[in-house]
Amino acid sequence: MSSEPIRPTGPLDAPVSAAPVVDVAVAGSAVRRRPGASFFVGAAIVVLVALMAVVSFVWTPYDPTFVDAAVRLRGVGDPGHLLGTDKLGRDVLSQILVGARTTLFVGIVAVGVAGVIGVPLGVVAAMAPRWLGETLMRGIDLLLAFPALLLAIMFSAVYGGSTLVAMVAIGIASVPSFVRLVRSGAMQVLSTEYVLAARAAGRGPWAIGLRHVLPNVSGLVIVQASVSFAIAVLAEAALSFLGYGTPPPTPSWGRMLQESQELLFSAPRLAIIPGIAIALAVLGFNLLGDGLRDHYDPRLEDRR
Amino acid sequence: MLLQIVRRTAILLASLVVSSVLVFAFMVLLPGDPARVALGVNASESAVTQLRQEFGLDRPLVAQYLSWVSGLVRFDLGTSYVSRAEIAPQIVDRLQVTMWLVVCAMLLAVVIAVPFGTLMALRHRRPSGLALSALSQVGVAVPAFLAGILLITVFAVKLQWLPANGWTPPNENPTQFLRQLVLPVLSLGLVQGAVLTRYVRSAILDVQREDYIRTARAKGLGRARALRRHGFRNAAIPVVTVLALQLATLLIGAVVVERVFVIPGLGSLLLDQVSNRDLIFVQDVVMLLVFAVLVVNFVVDLLYLVIDPRLKVGAR
Amino acid sequence: MKHIRIGTAAASVLFLALTAACSAGSGTSTSGGTGGNGGAGADKNLTVGLVAEPASLDFTTKDGAAIPQALLDNVYETLVKVDQDGQIKPALAKAWKVSDDGKTYTFDLVDNAKFSDGQAFTAKDAAFSIDRVKKDWTVSLKASMDVVQDAKAVSDTQLQVTLNKPSNNWLYKMSTRVGAMMTEKGVADLATKPVGTGPYVFQTWKRGDSISLKANPSYWGTKPYFQQVTLKYFKDPTALNNALLTGTINVIGTVQAPESLAQFEGNDKYEIIEGTTNGEVLLSFNNGKAPFNDLKVRQAARYAIDHKALLDTCWAGRGTLIGSMVPPTDPWYEDLTGLYPHDLAKAKALVAETNAAATPVRLRIPSLPYAVSCGQVVKSQLEQAGFKVTLDQLEFPAVWLTTVFTDADYDMSIVAHVEPRDLPAVFGDPKYYTRYDNKQLQADLAAADAGTPEEQVTLMKKAAKELSQDAAGDFLFLLPNLIVAEKGITGLPKNAITESFDLTGLARS
Repeated sequence: MSSEPIRPTGPLDAPVSAAPVVDVAVAGSAVRRRPGASFFVGAAIVVLVALMAVVSFVWTPYDPTFVDAAVRLRGVGDPGHLLGTDKLGRDVLSQILVGARTTLFVGIVAVGVAGVIGVPLGVVAAMAPRWLGETLMRGIDLLLAFPALLLAIMFSAVYGGSTLVAMVAIGIASVPSFVRLVRSGAMQVLSTEYVLAARAAGRGPWAIGLRHVLPNVSGLVIVQASVSFAIAVLAEAALSFLGYGTPPPTPSWGRMLQESQELLFSAPRLAIIPGIAIALAVLGFNLLGDGLRDHYDPRLEDRR
Repeated sequence: MLLQIVRRTAILLASLVVSSVLVFAFMVLLPGDPARVALGVNASESAVTQLRQEFGLDRPLVAQYLSWVSGLVRFDLGTSYVSRAEIAPQIVDRLQVTMWLVVCAMLLAVVIAVPFGTLMALRHRRPSGLALSALSQVGVAVPAFLAGILLITVFAVKLQWLPANGWTPPNENPTQFLRQLVLPVLSLGLVQGAVLTRYVRSAILDVQREDYIRTARAKGLGRARALRRHGFRNAAIPVVTVLALQLATLLIGAVVVERVFVIPGLGSLLLDQVSNRDLIFVQDVVMLLVFAVLVVNFVVDLLYLVIDPRLKVGAR
Repeated sequence: MKHIRIGTAAASVLFLALTAACSAGSGTSTSGGTGGNGGAGADKNLTVGLVAEPASLDFTTKDGAAIPQALLDNVYETLVKVDQDGQIKPALAKAWKVSDDGKTYTFDLVDNAKFSDGQAFTAKDAAFSIDRVKKDWTVSLKASMDVVQDAKAVSDTQLQVTLNKPSNNWLYKMSTRVGAMMTEKGVADLATKPVGTGPYVFQTWKRGDSISLKANPSYWGTKPYFQQVTLKYFKDPTALNNALLTGTINVIGTVQAPESLAQFEGNDKYEIIEGTTNGEVLLSFNNGKAPFNDLKVRQAARYAIDHKALLDTCWAGRGTLIGSMVPPTDPWYEDLTGLYPHDLAKAKALVAETNAAATPVRLRIPSLPYAVSCGQVVKSQLEQAGFKVTLDQLEFPAVWLTTVFTDADYDMSIVAHVEPRDLPAVFGDPKYYTRYDNKQLQADLAAADAGTPEEQVTLMKKAAKELSQDAAGDFLFLLPNLIVAEKGITGLPKNAITESFDLTGLARS
């Protein structure tokens, strides 16, 4: 078993949680397998969300923020409003389409921040002298003590509530998982013979880092990115529920869900539609992560 | 070994100091004058100045920090800017509530995760395992508050089986306490259970590849028996680690479920005090949380030190 | 064997955590009260669900509507009270006389009132309470007592108050929290232990959950029906509804999600009470700077708003349309909704004329349910008239207070002004965040305060009309008083026009 204690690889607050383990393995040493069902299902869902977002740039049935008192609370299948309208008379389908953009934005920002900070730090922590690597990891442990939700609320209070601010916070909270993962991956790469050979051939640490370590941990990073993406989407929904998520008028699935609460009895569809959208997107990214992990991780070989 | 323990303790202390500085610095950055927010919309300027003096907000930051930290060390968490009440008893009160919720939810999570996670690992790549795996994926994907709202709608409002929300201390009315606890524990526990199931599955899969399991199987033990004999204890290590950390972070993380079920727990307290800009209160709660996580980390580190000889050399 | 050790360790960690939680079950109650749950069963117990929990119980140093809502008229009493029609009625003062110059008030006090600590209420306490407002209160509301020159006890039951100048507002304010009667021995710990003469005495406060009051056994007036009242606080309007639906509470004191009323309508277990409040939802303009220092821009905005559609959309059609800063329960109310009817063509023309569309205006709203809802409607309606609007949601209270209220760094905002008779406060002071400086209006308001009651009505009407014509703000609507109660609970006020949630008259039939 790996000597590294397994820690949760994501921020583990209740709503924000859902961080399946990303096993430590090195892509380069993996026997690659044909991707399984979860990969295809996950990828299909992710592509669907992306398509919705792309379509929303070109076409939506209505302006998603346009308020029209005359057509409030239309049901699903209403002529002209396929998924109905909400209490302000806004078209639900248009909001869902544009909301997909927010969802992608949320994930990209959070994963981007976590990756841009976490990956280099992980490589450095692996390659640096021991004292430096150790200090770095201690700092990362410290960051782990600040849960994502807490960071996001504090950031919103300081910098004003916006999707960007909240997701930068979620991204920062996800940095430790990237660092830990990349570091242990990198350490395995560094102990391989070809890296030793490269060292012997006089290559500098930069060259080794860029040419050998980074490409070989990229698979791990992609898996973690997919999982972190899902976490970020859930986090946005939870934050919206608490009033710290995407502020109006930008359509967001999380806020749609929150706004629909008081109508749960008269118009449950207004909660169900964004609820399904969120759950589906999270499911998609998690499945994709799972599928990719099966693909990259040698230890999940079928042992029967 | 002893050296290692001393070293880890030193790291813990250093981490606590650094995090206290971080927490304090963060509070200073919060916009909105705490004195003004404490006094409200129509406060007069002189009253604001007076309050700032009273709470020492006009002192240099270093002095403010030192007096806060020296208070912490003496377990004196100070007095709230807003309610002027002692902070420590309030935190203890709320912590008790949250502990009930979180511990019961995690118990439920364990009860779900251990059998299902094991089954998923054993039936890895068989239809039943895949179905369970898919189910756990769906569980992970549902936002906890959505689960809560749905549970309320069905079991409280429609069927009227259980109260929709609220909190009664157990010594006041044990039946009501239990009835009110069921739904929040379910909505937190089911989601956490789904998460934990995946950790269990992964840990068991890891263990199955270990040599001693292979050896045991080579000796003719069945898969399940080999696992029962040797696997579980080892798989428990990472799972318990995760469990402990989940517990610590859920102290605040439960806030969403607390909000849905109107439970006066620690997370709700924190949100209230952030919005009141009751800075010293927020600082105390955040510090408590950071303390909890760091201590859990520390204990886990020590445990590993005890069980894994490879770590004793210090190669981490 | 190591494997066994860790297994045991894991088990014991879990066990420890469990025992910790179990032994920690001593509860949240700050003292051994009977608690407020299950109030639905007991006949003489009542649990009322409300939305905003006070942060402190001391309204002398802490602002906010939640404290008087819970304590005024229930725990604290005032010399005079305002009835459902806005008329001033006796309370702790049986009767009062005003001198001809309007400066001296002589109050005859009841002789059998007692504070909850056992002391009798006398004119000395009344004088002490009034003096204390000027001396020790820190909230700016204390300014209503600036007009008092001197308050003295003539006898145990007679109080004489001398004012600097005649003031109609003063007597009215005596019915609000500044008029709360306290005792010198009871003010040491106002934030946690209020002492008053009211029909209820403060019992416990479970922070983050509820405040319990119990009937005052030695109350001087008509004793209340309910022996035990719990005010339970909910952050989330849906949770509040669910609590009534499942019998955790008996009454929803203020419905914050009017859209959800549908589930109570047509259900014969519940009764809905709908009336008016003092809460004018104001679309405020920053009158102090461009573009809203231009009358035509303000007019354009007023014409652009379709108030009926707005009310239907963002507050489920519940509420009253008002044309100025006066609710229908004030003596000087008149219907001014006709001054700026919805007229998109006029609005567009004015926008074009003033070139108001050249720069986007910032609609900076507080993060409150009505503001978030209405803000999106207002934005949409203004944009139809050609305005460019950016919607900023600011965290309430902290950020909104600093940015909009204190620094006036905004163009438009939406906030409900819930204080009674607040027109002078909101538009009479050029330093207020509306930055409205109208000398004529200020003169009229001063004259209304000093004049006879008839003059007051005439001049206040004039001021309200002037304000509306000058488009100093747009008055979106008046928040409704929406109460949902179990059938059979009587005495709930139709109109919520005082600062308190008055429990005195409630009963169960």
